[in-house]
Amino acid sequence: MHSKRLGWIFLAPTLTILFFFGVIPFVYVVFVSFHQWNPFAVNPDMVFNGADNFRRIVFDQAFLNSLGVTVLFVVFAVLSQLVLGYLLAQAFMRDFPGKAIFRTIHTLPLIMAPIIVGSVWKLMTTPSIGIIPHYLDEWFGITMNIGTSAVAAFTTIVIMDIWHWTPLVTLTLIAALVSLPPDPFEQAQIDGAGKPQIFWHITLPMIAPAMIATVFIRLMDALRTVDEVWMLTGGGPGSATRFLGVHIFREVFPKTNYGYGSTISVIVLYLTIVACWLLYVTMLAPRTSRRSEED
Amino acid sequence: MNLSLKLGASALALTVATTSASADGHAAWWKEAAAPYEGVTIRGVTESSPPSQYIREVLAPEFEALTGIRVDVETTSWDQMFDKGIKDMEAGTGIYDMVYIEQDIIYSYLARDFLTNLTDFLGENAELQAPTYDEANFTTFADYFKDGDGDLYGVPMEAFLKVYLYRKDLFEDSEIQAAFKEQTGRDLAPATTHAEYSEIARFFTDYGKANDLELWGTTAQAHTGHVASWYEYYESVAPTFGVYNWGIDANNNFAASVANGGAMNGPEAIEAMEWWLSMRDIAPPESPASTWTEVGTTFGAGRAAQGLVYGENAGWIAADETKSLVVGKVGVALPPLADGVKAAAEAGDGYIGYYDGGAFGMPHSSKNKEATALFLQFIGQNEVQPDWAVAAPRVTHTATYDDPKVVAFNEELGGYYDLIKDKGYLFAGAPAYPFHAQVREATAPIFYQILTGDLSPQDGLDQMAAAAEATLTELGYRK
Amino acid sequence: MHKSSPVIGVIFWCLISFLTLFPIYWLFVISVKPAVQLFSTPDLIVTDPFWGNYAKVWGDRLLRSYMLNSVIISTGNAVLCTILGFFACYALSRMNLSGKESIFFWTITNRMAPPAVFLLPLFLLMTQVYTVGEWRLLDTRIGMILVYCTFNLPFAIWTLRPTVDAIPRELDEAAYVDGANTWKVITEVVFPLCRPGLAVTLILTWVFAWNEYLLAATLTNFEARTLTTGLSEYVTTTGTEWGIMATISVFTLIPALIVFGLVQRHIVAGLTFGAVKG
Repeated sequence: MHSKRLGWIFLAPTLTILFFFGVIPFVYVVFVSFHQWNPFAVNPDMVFNGADNFRRIVFDQAFLNSLGVTVLFVVFAVLSQLVLGYLLAQAFMRDFPGKAIFRTIHTLPLIMAPIIVGSVWKLMTTPSIGIIPHYLDEWFGITMNIGTSAVAAFTTIVIMDIWHWTPLVTLTLIAALVSLPPDPFEQAQIDGAGKPQIFWHITLPMIAPAMIATVFIRLMDALRTVDEVWMLTGGGPGSATRFLGVHIFREVFPKTNYGYGSTISVIVLYLTIVACWLLYVTMLAPRTSRRSEED
Repeated sequence: MNLSLKLGASALALTVATTSASADGHAAWWKEAAAPYEGVTIRGVTESSPPSQYIREVLAPEFEALTGIRVDVETTSWDQMFDKGIKDMEAGTGIYDMVYIEQDIIYSYLARDFLTNLTDFLGENAELQAPTYDEANFTTFADYFKDGDGDLYGVPMEAFLKVYLYRKDLFEDSEIQAAFKEQTGRDLAPATTHAEYSEIARFFTDYGKANDLELWGTTAQAHTGHVASWYEYYESVAPTFGVYNWGIDANNNFAASVANGGAMNGPEAIEAMEWWLSMRDIAPPESPASTWTEVGTTFGAGRAAQGLVYGENAGWIAADETKSLVVGKVGVALPPLADGVKAAAEAGDGYIGYYDGGAFGMPHSSKNKEATALFLQFIGQNEVQPDWAVAAPRVTHTATYDDPKVVAFNEELGGYYDLIKDKGYLFAGAPAYPFHAQVREATAPIFYQILTGDLSPQDGLDQMAAAAEATLTELGYRK
Repeated sequence: MHKSSPVIGVIFWCLISFLTLFPIYWLFVISVKPAVQLFSTPDLIVTDPFWGNYAKVWGDRLLRSYMLNSVIISTGNAVLCTILGFFACYALSRMNLSGKESIFFWTITNRMAPPAVFLLPLFLLMTQVYTVGEWRLLDTRIGMILVYCTFNLPFAIWTLRPTVDAIPRELDEAAYVDGANTWKVITEVVFPLCRPGLAVTLILTWVFAWNEYLLAATLTNFEARTLTTGLSEYVTTTGTEWGIMATISVFTLIPALIVFGLVQRHIVAGLTFGAVKG
């Protein structure tokens, strides 16, 4: 059938670009991950060391710690963004004075570069200079020091991430809500369904694909977070905010540990893919295929 | 005085200087030597710093006007700079003709033969040897960019001491002096021992509290997630307690732990750590989030009575009214020392602090070596130094100290240049380790845990010594 | 849905907006403070703004060229990704291709890679493999446009897929019955109906490209440097120049605001479209 050939033609540019800039670098990284390679070792060349790096990673306390704080961060940040983003998107579906302005304001954080976000939050939270600890202390007598308190630093990063990325969730959910057909809702109201029922049985299933797609994006971006944390805490205090992105960065940039750094990256990528795949097959794929069948 | 204004002024001064140089006939030499390379563009990468900005804004345009060789300088952050240089040289791409080399990376580059031997290169290409350039003009700081044979691999362009800064206005205030004397029975003067330093620090922190001032007794570069804190300890605190070269013994199979013959977790190292932590605890509250830049800012904002501050900051703190609140109120001194350290440093067996700085080297992969060699000599001439030293406080040439402009600026800086000139030999650059960043990165996360209190100094230093040895073994340095 | 009091609504939104705007306001505050005041006790209101940073940034020729690079790279990349993503989604949604769900999932894995380690192979490829004679892909705008596809193309495909899927196939079929060919169906039926989704995709891919730092910092040197890399020049050895950084940041917000303003209209257009479809 000719439409099949056309389909591949449509996909070709995408697949080509991703092949040259995604697949080839990936193959290279996988190759390096089986080597001991640090250009400033006594032997600066790549030395094949089989699965040694992979064996080592299982017992690498620094890596496991980093994995732990990252997962914690992702769960807190992404869940909050999803709930807040949905509530705000719903709120934007109503009419109220100044709606267009408020919506524009709400999306503003999105257009700020992570590196800038990190800088601003650093300036707002640096002890005794930043405005947040200053007023927390003056008004509530609370001492906040992101240099000494792991909780303060972690919380600040989670709040910063929520501030920065909730608008993304709101925006994509608005787009999804806008394109919902009104008929099922009218029908449900006629049938006397309550708000929670409408949410669970009509709204949620209908916007689930967009919602999960958004969660995916946030999930994988949060897992790779580097710039903001780098600016704000550098991974400290101690290793409290040394997320995987930062950990890998430190391993391959200053430490030039290309071999082991590649191994960590491959593992992180693998874990991310598995987590997303599970989410995908359990949540999204059945809906998509069911819809295709219905069509 | 406003440093950016000075920069403009010195650009003018430089034009005058070159005019006089051309009267000597040297301009003709530059033109002739550069003639084959006219139209070439050479490219460098550097950390963003006032001396490198001066190169970009003043020296590079000047050089281009004289020779027709264009100089592009990419300035970037510290982390990026090394990574970009390393990738380029490792792959032999030839993107850069000049790379900024700092103490912490030079020995790694030398070990890999990343850099061109400038002494040899100029020796082999006599037609490129500028009459106004001579390696003998450099201060001893240039020795940190030489190999075992004494050949030079980088033209020094930044050199600073990490010095002990104190607030002259506070130290000379008669009421404060009286109060200090009453409390301690001692005259208030810059500390020479750690005990004195602590006493002064406690006094001023209490004084700030009692008078409701934003004032503390000491700075502390004690960031809990940035290597700045690691450096403060190993460059500026541990040596003053007699722990040199990070406590790693290069002559003893790179041993780090006491058990194997190192000193990383020895009693002096622990004492140094405990002392430093006790100072951190009475430093301004931003200290656990302070890198070298914030320490300078803290001091410049008048929030600390004394502290160890990098020399590149001493300049603007003491003289730039657009950034500093303590202009004219700053004194410099040698850091406080434990018994015997000064004698060891005098004898050449140790050092009392960090002689910091950088140079421009030429990657082996450069495709414009001749033109680059000309530019490196151009910035290495005695003639361009004085204005540079005023615009961005750094001295790399012995003759620079005696220039009237520099002598005058020295007054403004509270005698900082005198200190470099007379006492510079007591300070040392980074240890000659090709594994500098690797061992630093392996031990720093444990170090941060000592700072946060998750590990005691003893446990933390034990773990650091073990981590250092493990890394050195992995890299093949420790057998 | 029941109507709540508009007053409460407006108060609610004012509060949310305050929280949203505060860090941006603070950025502005920092940009109009002279360095010497930055580290005194923070004041909420600026009484005596200092415009020196703005004059300095505006007068910087280098920064203007970075700005131009940023505009070209992010616009080029956003348009490319949105168009390619749309066609890919159309193929995945409408055509019965074998393994299409696997391909769909695979595209997104390209966005999952932790960037730091992939910089090395990208650097090697762009200096040694993707070259024509002396010319190499490193430090070129086109190079950055293509590199940014690794994270933006998957994003475009993932945000557009639900949109394309949601367009009822009956509309395609009706058009075919009327004698349209595939191209016509795409350009005249599906594409216009996807406008809100395309607008959102365009905005967001643009923003991701505009804000990217790490790849640009490593893969550009002189010719294709972007504004975010320009920021790192002000993290100097003698103190981060927060005032200048904040000023540049304010400048980076302006083009982003313009793009947002332009494209948001289409999302609003999507609102009316939703009503018509019903």
